[in-house]
Amino acid sequence: MIDRGAASKYLAGRLKDEVVVTSLGNEKYDLRSGGDRDRNFYNWNAMGMASSLGLGLAMARPELKVIVYDGDGSLLMNLGALATIAMREPKNLVHIVWDNRSYAMTGGQPTATAFHTDLAAMAKAAGYPKVERVETQTAFERAADRALTEPGPWFIHCLMEEKPVAGGGLPSPTAIKHRFMDAIGARR
Amino acid sequence: MAWADSIVGVLKKYEVRYLNYVPDTKIEQILEAARELGGFEALPLTREEEGIGVVCGQALGGGRGVMLCPTAGLGNSINALAALAITYRIPCPVIIGVRGDLGEFNPGQVAMGQATQGILDALRIPTYRITREDETEKITEGALRICYASEGPVAILVTNELAGWKEGRKRD
Repeated sequence: MIDRGAASKYLAGRLKDEVVVTSLGNEKYDLRSGGDRDRNFYNWNAMGMASSLGLGLAMARPELKVIVYDGDGSLLMNLGALATIAMREPKNLVHIVWDNRSYAMTGGQPTATAFHTDLAAMAKAAGYPKVERVETQTAFERAADRALTEPGPWFIHCLMEEKPVAGGGLPSPTAIKHRFMDAIGARR
Repeated sequence: MAWADSIVGVLKKYEVRYLNYVPDTKIEQILEAARELGGFEALPLTREEEGIGVVCGQALGGGRGVMLCPTAGLGNSINALAALAITYRIPCPVIIGVRGDLGEFNPGQVAMGQATQGILDALRIPTYRITREDETEKITEGALRICYASEGPVAILVTNELAGWKEGRKRD
């Protein structure tokens, strides 16, 4: 099983111009602890919206690699996004899903992936051309390296074990937005 | 239809490029006018909530999109409007084809159609109804101006008074 904190640290060390949009779960804290960047967009509470935000960004900025930092519970809330993303096929989108098989922020209740649901298989069936399912740090690093250099859309399904996250707290929503948009030179 | 041409003309003037939609007969008239005029990208969605996320993502990237959906779809998009567009102050124009109002035949449309204005009011989303062809351009332009000035969602209601009601099967 992958340690999301260690994997996030690896990813943060590899990123240059790429942008990252997160879901509302603990993955956003690991991303921030792994290396806070102006090009990270942290999501306070819009459950399920990371994939759709990432698609919109990837459409508006085809020259930027857009990484979606999603969770199993969040993706399950917006499964239709898999079909929409596969249909639109943004080559600059990398959809990373951290699957801990639970709603970790609300007491660890099981999600559907704790039973029979396989998110990588769903992404493949939806039509994502590049799908990887990884369970170790080495496999994650290899998949991430490829996704950062080869066209997608990519779907990287990371089987992980939920651990207590470091850090905590986020800037205000508008501070996050302004910092992010300024960093990529987005017109307001 | 002339009203649809007016809406699309204003969208182009304000450099809106992305028409993110869940279809409806009124929305289709707007999409048709856009195909005729050219220069837009239409993106069909599985659910309206997705569209709010996509419009917000386009805005974060410096692009301009709108969400087009029927009143029923507004109901599917509320938490995204609240937790993204309002919370982060992201301009998000939503053009809504009204169902469940004047002349409606489908009982399943009525509750949401009648609740639409109240829901938008509860979220303090500025909402503008277009009821006449000759006011379409002004209202659409005015709604986009306040949307980009205030950085938040704005709703434009394309009413049955303007665009007519849908013919359909009556109840037995």
